[in-house]
Amino acid sequence: MFRYNLSTVFLLLAAFLVQQFVPALTGLSHSRILIVHLVFLCAAVTVATPTMLLLAFIAGCLWDAHCSMAPITADPEVYTQPVESLRFGYSILLFAAMGFLMQGLNPLFRQGKWQFSALLTGVAIFLYLTAEFILISFVRGDFTVTRSIIRLLSYTSLLTMLFSPIIFWLLYRIAKIFEYSLYPEANRPKRR
Amino acid sequence: MKPLNLIALLLFLAGATWALTRSEPVVREIQVAYFKAIAPTLKAGSAIETKARNLLEETKHSKEYQVKLSAIESEIGRLRIIESRFQALERENAELRHALNFKKATNFDVVAAQIIRRHPTTWWQTMEIDAGEDRGIGIQLSVLSNDGLVGIIDRPFKRRSSVLLVTDEKCQVSVRVENSPEVGILSGQRGEFDNNPTLRLRFLSKDAALRPGQRVFTTGRGGIFQPNILVGSIISVEKGSLDSEALVKPAVDLSDLGTVFVVLSENH
Repeated sequence: MFRYNLSTVFLLLAAFLVQQFVPALTGLSHSRILIVHLVFLCAAVTVATPTMLLLAFIAGCLWDAHCSMAPITADPEVYTQPVESLRFGYSILLFAAMGFLMQGLNPLFRQGKWQFSALLTGVAIFLYLTAEFILISFVRGDFTVTRSIIRLLSYTSLLTMLFSPIIFWLLYRIAKIFEYSLYPEANRPKRR
Repeated sequence: MKPLNLIALLLFLAGATWALTRSEPVVREIQVAYFKAIAPTLKAGSAIETKARNLLEETKHSKEYQVKLSAIESEIGRLRIIESRFQALERENAELRHALNFKKATNFDVVAAQIIRRHPTTWWQTMEIDAGEDRGIGIQLSVLSNDGLVGIIDRPFKRRSSVLLVTDEKCQVSVRVENSPEVGILSGQRGEFDNNPTLRLRFLSKDAALRPGQRVFTTGRGGIFQPNILVGSIISVEKGSLDSEALVKPAVDLSDLGTVFVVLSENH
């Protein structure tokens, strides 16, 4: 189990490297395939809560290192209303929240019904991005939802979700190598 | 809740609090370490993205490019003549300044850079260029193209930098409108992910007499941008009860940008 847990950490780190090869699809409102989020969500349903929280911390820290912007220091007499950014570290909490959401389907997943978890990855990514957008609106003020934003949320969630079977298959292979069962209740006889 | 889960949750919350309370220099150090670690894949990823874009553009516009090339060649010839005249004038100006004991007014230098990545993050309008601190690039320097203002340097690293585009909500520019007394603050609009984003010019006077097509230039106030850089042109004006706002079309087509220039001027 320990070796499998450790391998999910390495898989998450590898996802950050793979993410560099995935560009934004400018034709689809800059939507993209969020490999890092997908690997985290798929791994979250296969591990225990402490490991999921560790993965959330690593993913959140590195994702914010990748995305956070520097504050702009300009003359406050000219720029009277500076635009705030989200603080470094906010993603850790969002990742953890999505991880707990994924673990809600853990009983089904342990029975071998991974399809529900695959669908939930799409929902979780949609919620993650929505929460991110709400946070940005809260920090900067003026909540406006445009068609462009809805397209970005929808396409990103859908495109990312389509790749979840591949990640589950990868996790299944890794689990097999380390003799860890992802579906411990799948082969047990059903109670009457 | 199991004791192990409770301990894990407490440790997680402590870690999250630690991350959320980091100061800007610490965040910067974390970012530098992160980008250093992923540098090889970042480089490879950027190269693939650039190649794919070039290939697509080549096949799409090969005839267009031929026409453009011949136009550019003739333009280069014309500019060379102007440049030689400009150099003569510059020499003459320097001699006159020297004679009159004038101090040098500006220290203006630019670094050319190629765009290696577009929109690397989900929400922010940014792009990455292949020039960094090793070529003298620092934070908050203006980035221009032949057509006008592109943005400012957000985070410079050793061999690459992140550019905050003028279309991002966070990039505010103090501007003036040509042939009018109007000045205001221009910024991008949230959620504009289409290929033709517009900018919003705020804090104009209540009765601002502006018309579509009027050009918008930087004022040079605020300590970030040099004056008289073209930013865009007015599309429409919305009059409010206290002030007016205008929609502005950026002068630069950010979706079709290859080379940019970072202004290394120290005297704004």
